[in-house]
Amino acid sequence: MTFLVKRLMVLAVTLFVVSFVVFLIPYLTPGDPARKILRARVGDLDADPEALAGLRETYGLDRPLLVQYGDWLGGALRGDLGLSYTSRTPVVDMLGGALTVTAVLAISTLLLALLVAVPLGSLAAVRRGTPVDTAITTVTQAFVAVPEYWLAPVLVLVFSLQLGVLPSAGWEGPASMVLPCLTLALRPMSYFTQVTRASMIDVLGSPHITAARARGLGFGATMLRHGVRNALLPVLTLFSLWLAGLLGGSVVVEVIFSIPGMGRLLYESVVNNDVPAIQAGIVSLVGLAVLITTLTDVVHAWVNPTVRAPHVSG
Amino acid sequence: MNALLTVDNLTVRAGADPATRILDGVSLTIHEGEVLALVGESGSGKSMTALALIRLLPAPLVAEAGALTVAGEDLLAAGERRMNAIRGGTIGMLFQQPKRMLDPTATVGAHVAEPLRRFGRLSRAAARRATVELLADVGIPEPRRRARAYAHQLSGGIAQRVMIATALAGQPRLLIADEPTTALDATVEAQILRLIAAKKAELGMSVLFISHDLRVVSAIADRIAVMYAGRIVEQGPAAELLAAPQHPYTRALVECSLLRPDEHGELYAIPGHAGPALSLTAGCRFQPRCAASHAARLEHQCAAAEPELAFSGGGSADHTTRCWVASPQAAPSHAAQPKEQV
Ligand SMILES: Nc1ncnc2c1ncn2[C@@H]1O[C@H](COP(=O)(O)OP(=O)(O)OP(=O)(O)O)[C@@H](O)[C@H]1O
Ligand SMILES: [Mg+2]
Repeated sequence: MTFLVKRLMVLAVTLFVVSFVVFLIPYLTPGDPARKILRARVGDLDADPEALAGLRETYGLDRPLLVQYGDWLGGALRGDLGLSYTSRTPVVDMLGGALTVTAVLAISTLLLALLVAVPLGSLAAVRRGTPVDTAITTVTQAFVAVPEYWLAPVLVLVFSLQLGVLPSAGWEGPASMVLPCLTLALRPMSYFTQVTRASMIDVLGSPHITAARARGLGFGATMLRHGVRNALLPVLTLFSLWLAGLLGGSVVVEVIFSIPGMGRLLYESVVNNDVPAIQAGIVSLVGLAVLITTLTDVVHAWVNPTVRAPHVSG
Repeated sequence: MNALLTVDNLTVRAGADPATRILDGVSLTIHEGEVLALVGESGSGKSMTALALIRLLPAPLVAEAGALTVAGEDLLAAGERRMNAIRGGTIGMLFQQPKRMLDPTATVGAHVAEPLRRFGRLSRAAARRATVELLADVGIPEPRRRARAYAHQLSGGIAQRVMIATALAGQPRLLIADEPTTALDATVEAQILRLIAAKKAELGMSVLFISHDLRVVSAIADRIAVMYAGRIVEQGPAAELLAAPQHPYTRALVECSLLRPDEHGELYAIPGHAGPALSLTAGCRFQPRCAASHAARLEHQCAAAEPELAFSGGGSADHTTRCWVASPQAAPSHAAQPKEQV
């Protein structure tokens, strides 16, 4: 229990620090914030001093920095992240939609990767040194090097244009998810397979497996009860790293498949200099990453007692 | 007394190569209720003997034997399913590093309950109760709390007691203990030895006790078999073998175990190293390190061929030695077939 409390406190502190740094972002780049807003809305016109003054007034830009930060943080805590400079709609709404899309995409991608990788990696480990193992190892090593901007068009060419079985773009229904998921899943699937294989080989050779067999447990039962859990620990860590990474959205995949996710949102906000959207996007991504790390630690502690329980001798 | 375990001519090879013999013609018998100690230095093949008996040799190693019988059952003919019932059922195993033998992600109780549920056909709740009883029975304090502990929370001694509880859960007829106290300190070692001896007496088990330490063995063994480079070189009643060792290697082991400094204040050590199983010749495996062979001017005979295990005048008839020096009455001409067993 104290373990969980400690992790949650770390989470809160991290978020606080990150929010301050993120808030400062627009002030770290040179230039008058009011001018930036104007440029974001109407393009690079000569600034009208009255309009600038009006903007400073609306957004409270001439108050001290810390006051502005307090204001922004207070709003953020109440779920108000301000209005987008460009669309003038609440940033929270834009973010919520994009984050949901990206989360669905990321989680299905990684579950797909895991579903393929764990049996494949285990098979390679059990058949270590045989042609099966060599094939799995070689192919996954090659897959790691396949770039998304190459794989996506190839998949579209085959499944959408030639076979006509899957949509080539958009985000409506499960069918539209297949190609983006496949594109994104190839690399994590390859890494998961390699890590599963390595850790499975490790576990297969560990003394407690021999001991379990010597107690009369068959090979399969031994693997299920005393192998898989141990072998999956490193895979779990890798999974959470990938999840945190993928929640940032993949610009390449989202742009190619026209998916309204985080990658596209962030990309467009940066291009348009939409400061509130950038701030909110980054804070929520970092927050999610820290949250996932925390969750991973909690799951880790649940699976691996050496993390959770104190070392007492006796 | 009836034989509980019979091993005849057990040979273990690494892969198909006939030159690599990690075990070579090992024959052992353990009677009901008897403790046989298997003694030899590191790498001599003691653990491989144990693993070959329960048919769990690691991948490239393969075993062949003329006979392998436990409690009247032919293990060579047993299928994998039957072997799973024999492992943990008829034969219990203890290992050298008890903490590493426990799954780090499973509780102590889960380990002990496993054979209880399989062999005793107990329900989950009944198995939990039996687990706590069994843990208390092997001298673990606070068994209820310990049942919920994990390997990293245990000392080596407690972990070995857990392993003993797990091994006894299937009520084995034979306990194979592979250096069960080597990783423990001396006081704990004595406690564990006493526990094994007590359980053996209580349950009427037979024990194959593997060790490299003659002092440990002298406390527990009825008979001793000495192994050198995959070969049994001497076998006999414990007291007699320790008091009157016949094979030069056994003598050297006894001398080492006494920890008696010579006139220069040095402890005795056997010169040289045991050769790897791969470089073995037709002769006696100990010959390159054997001072007795040299003194008796038998080097040629010893290097050319290996004698059979034979009576060597040690006292009782079942005290046998594989040595030209110790049993000169064995005719060298017999040595032409070193693989034949008596
Ligand atoms: N996979 C393997 N391939 C080839 N040789 C092996 C393999 N595993 C073990 N050996 C060899 O088998 C021999 C016997 O090993 P074993 O573990 O039985 O020795 P031991 O008598 O138990 O020694 P220790 O006292 O160190 O436990 C050693 O010389 C070792 O090098
Ligand atoms: Mg050993």
